[in-house]
Amino acid sequence: MARNKFDVDETLESPFDLGHLKRAFGYIGRHKYIMLLALCLSVVASVTGLFVPKITQWVLDDAVPNKDMALLARLAIMFVGILLISIVFTVIRSRMMAHVSQEIIYDIRKDLFAHLQRLPFSYYDSRPAGKILVRVINYVNSVSDILSNGIINSILEIINVLFIIVFMYATEPTLATIVIAGLPVFVTIIVLLKPRQRRAWQNQSNKNSNYNAYLAESIDGVRVSQLFARQDVNCTIMQRLAAACRKAWLRAIYISNSVWLSSELITQVVFTLMYFAGVYWLGGSIVSYGVILAMGQYVSRFWQPITNLANIYNSFVNNLAYLERIFETMDEPVVVDDHPGAQALPDIDGQVDFNDVTFGYEEGQTVLSHMNLHVNAGESIALVGPTGAGKSTVVNLLCRFYNLVGGSITLHGEDGKDYDISEVTLHSLRTQLGIMLQDSFIFSGTILDNIRYGRLDATEEEVRQAAKIVRADEFISEMPQGYQTTVNERGSSLSQGQRQLVSFARTLLSDPRILILDEATSSIDTKTEKLLQDGLQAMLKGRTSFIIAHRLSTIKNCDRILYISDHGILEAGSHDELMAKHGAYWELYTAQAREQGMMTA
Amino acid sequence: MEQVKWIWSVMDRSYHKWHIMALVISAVTSLMLLINPTLTARLVDEVIIAQNPEPLVGLLLTMLAVKVLREGSRYLMVTTLERTSQNMIYNLRRRLFHSLQYQDARFFDQNRAGDLMTRMSADTDWCRHFLSYIDYMATDSVVMFLSVSIYLFFVSWKLALALVCVTPVLMLITKVYSKGARRMFIDMRDKLSEMNAGAQENIAANRVVKAFAREEHEKEGFDHKSAAYRDANLAINKRWLSFYPFIELLANAMTFITVFFGGILLMRGELTPGELTIFTSLSWALSVPMRNLGNLLNDWQRFSTCATKVMQLDLSRPDIRDPETPVPHDHIEGKVEFRNVSFTYDRQEVLSDVSFSAEPGQTVAIMGPTGSGKTTLIQLLARCYDTTGGEILVDGCDVRRWNLNELRGGIGTATQDVFLFSDTVEGNIAFGNQELTVDVVKDFARRAAAEEFVPHLADGYDTIIGERGVGLSGGQKQRIALARALAMRPGILVMDDTTSAVDMETEQYIQRELRQLPYDCTKIIIAQRISSVKDADLILILKDGKITERGTHEELLRQRGYYWETYCLQNGLDVDAPLKEAM
Repeated sequence: MARNKFDVDETLESPFDLGHLKRAFGYIGRHKYIMLLALCLSVVASVTGLFVPKITQWVLDDAVPNKDMALLARLAIMFVGILLISIVFTVIRSRMMAHVSQEIIYDIRKDLFAHLQRLPFSYYDSRPAGKILVRVINYVNSVSDILSNGIINSILEIINVLFIIVFMYATEPTLATIVIAGLPVFVTIIVLLKPRQRRAWQNQSNKNSNYNAYLAESIDGVRVSQLFARQDVNCTIMQRLAAACRKAWLRAIYISNSVWLSSELITQVVFTLMYFAGVYWLGGSIVSYGVILAMGQYVSRFWQPITNLANIYNSFVNNLAYLERIFETMDEPVVVDDHPGAQALPDIDGQVDFNDVTFGYEEGQTVLSHMNLHVNAGESIALVGPTGAGKSTVVNLLCRFYNLVGGSITLHGEDGKDYDISEVTLHSLRTQLGIMLQDSFIFSGTILDNIRYGRLDATEEEVRQAAKIVRADEFISEMPQGYQTTVNERGSSLSQGQRQLVSFARTLLSDPRILILDEATSSIDTKTEKLLQDGLQAMLKGRTSFIIAHRLSTIKNCDRILYISDHGILEAGSHDELMAKHGAYWELYTAQAREQGMMTA
Repeated sequence: MEQVKWIWSVMDRSYHKWHIMALVISAVTSLMLLINPTLTARLVDEVIIAQNPEPLVGLLLTMLAVKVLREGSRYLMVTTLERTSQNMIYNLRRRLFHSLQYQDARFFDQNRAGDLMTRMSADTDWCRHFLSYIDYMATDSVVMFLSVSIYLFFVSWKLALALVCVTPVLMLITKVYSKGARRMFIDMRDKLSEMNAGAQENIAANRVVKAFAREEHEKEGFDHKSAAYRDANLAINKRWLSFYPFIELLANAMTFITVFFGGILLMRGELTPGELTIFTSLSWALSVPMRNLGNLLNDWQRFSTCATKVMQLDLSRPDIRDPETPVPHDHIEGKVEFRNVSFTYDRQEVLSDVSFSAEPGQTVAIMGPTGSGKTTLIQLLARCYDTTGGEILVDGCDVRRWNLNELRGGIGTATQDVFLFSDTVEGNIAFGNQELTVDVVKDFARRAAAEEFVPHLADGYDTIIGERGVGLSGGQKQRIALARALAMRPGILVMDDTTSAVDMETEQYIQRELRQLPYDCTKIIIAQRISSVKDADLILILKDGKITERGTHEELLRQRGYYWETYCLQNGLDVDAPLKEAM
């Protein structure tokens, strides 16, 4: 599995294609009627705005020379009326567009987040969290404006340009052609710049993402850094990343700014040429005062929207780099997913079958090979063996965190039928299994909510019951606010053992048919563990369970012990059977016993 | 304004003059915008109306030159501002990161990672935006507004005065708007930070989410935060739109006054048509700055909210820092002494009156129930927190008088909650000591029993392991963490339940290796297994923050207390069994 590090750029796989735009339009499409309305309002507002110069003209041409105060008053009222219409329409449009742009952000973010929930472990394992985070938060924020107002404004500007072109040709075709002749030059410049510009902004987003990744990781690992007195080295790394951000940004912005610069300069050149042509080429007699004056105004009226379009285009290109990243994440294949038409798994009785299961995390690597296992409903199974032999893998496969390479795993339903776990919905599968992971994750929030995560509709009393079984009730009750005590992210205010207990209670609360405990009590002191074990026995009755533990004393009483090694089950049987066998388990057990100074087993 | 002063001080001194120069250019070039319309007017009068092509070339070339000069200067100005603002954000990022790296544990208990991320990304970016955009736009607007007003005063003081009368109203609106908006911007920023924290936590918890099939619940929770952020944005927009009409009205009042009041003055003969033309052609130069004002106001509010947050981080000083005059040490001998140490956190007593000592090379083991304060005790040793009573001495010197780096650099800790970095295995082992050769790294890996699995990883020691060591089993992570601690060659080696997820055989191997390290060190071991602690020179039992039993293995067994009970439980013995039989 190729993993990404904070200082490795993630190269974008897909070339730019119109598909991105089409997809972006998918988000916009939901609001097309509102946007259309907003567009109409804008047109009305700008058309009424065009009357202002007309009123000016009437005031100066008609009212003032005739000293007509009544006309002046009427015009003043008209002016105010037009102004009010224009303002009201603009306010309505802005309000509508604010909603649209916020909805677009919200929708994209929602879809992105939903997709992230479906992505497999391997996605999270192979890149720093900061790189995922920056996409969900920063990039989505960046693209919204260009997708909402950007689109409306560009349509408005295009309408503007078209109108002006018509007006110009109606006034004087030759001069109009000169004015428009600047356009191909400008377009050429843009087209030439585009590949560099796009690459520069992509590079900038890469560097930004690297910076964020390192930042997130450094904040998470700051306690370790401090213990190892590594802060200065970290600062140097950060300095390097920040410098790379600066460089990438400046490069991108230089290119982007030259777009605007060239549009301004072309405008002036066109203006100059137009006057030259008007005066010399066409001859002063043909071009009247009015025509050249009008054309002079049209030049700026024509090029202003073009410049605006160039600016919109500019920010579009910057944001495209972000949009591509967002869509790339949304396109990330969901490797472990519900089969098309997958049915919900009905209630299971706890019987589990591994049929010829083969698995490796990466291609060419084999962790389990042709493993067969039949577990009866209600049986307790212990998995032992050296670290890294595949004990956790067995339970990970049962929960379908990964897809099998070969073989199948089936669960037996209460209806008497067998169900292949790859053919039922993930949700129905996992809610019937209760797995306690090695990494006992604690969410920020109250302890109550942390335990309740196992079953969201559990009452406080049920939560307390679960906590009592795992002996967490004692320490929780001693805390200032008991179950309502708020814990930090990752539960840093709890000890490792306490975190394990809370997470254990969480698993128990989910009341699963099959309980899976992966090193559930490794950080818990022996006495608490003993008490916990007693309570657990009652819980385990009637449930199938898989227990992984290094302390063999905790699994001695399991119905069956599997010694996992060399890609499969090396030995299987009860404690007594395996001891009698004098094999790997026996060796392990006696070694532990000797180490602990035990006399006999 | 305090915020502006502060970000100004973050920028390198050598960049100050460039930034000021750029703002001056911005002011000058904003005035140059007035030149070409004037020239166009002359062009019309002298060339077109007079039907005289002679001045044409001169005028056109001048206009072209003005434009090229203006746009060229603008480009230079904007580029300069980008460079100076990048210098600022570069410095700022370094400074903040440095500040973060040296904050104490209490700070990280109180600040959520998502919020710190927001400060370091979105918030710092608004500081940059201020320097690269807001300030020159404000300069442009103010200069243009003022200079045009002054110019117009000379043309007709009456009409100009009428125009300027609008300004106080504008100020009033600005003030009223800013007052309420501030709270809303703070709210929006907080919502952003909450969303950030929510997403961050979800990404970190992806395994738990899947294990409990809680995807829907998570989506709901996140959508809630995302919607809150959306609503905060919309609330600002709504408030802004309730002020926008007034600003827009005022901006248009410029044109209105010019046309109508100007018209009346014209009628009365107090103004010539030429003078009025000047007013009409320049009224945009008054209304555009006014319209900009609205956007600038919002940007300013946002900037000052963000800058305040960033400033807080920059200015916050950790309670735990190097003493003024640290006692110099070039290495740690390994003598550790706790004298009546007490520690209270959040008004809860975690440790009380803990005393013990270890001579260099000795091994101290600590056992006790979950949550009894074992980890806190070693955190105090590395001065992650300061004691609230008593003192801790390392090599006879109070830890508060040590240089922090020297102290922590001399203590190698293999933490319980293993945090590995997204780096290669080799990079992770050499984390505390960059100069290690590959062979030395491998040697320490071997001692920590990591040599048996690392070569089997995809790229051996060059395999990049994910953040927090995802992809490795718990036992594997612990072994890498141990190798990392050993590789520091510490004077004091602290092992906080380091082998809990390691199988027994491996643990025995590790213990054998620890007895023959290539350097001398004092060992402090926290463990739950008797086998891990029984050979220690001193075993402490910590219960509810107090030492309840102390002694060697044999002594503690005789005491028949917690240690004895644990011993019996782990060995399947009856607590009431005769001691002799047990031993």
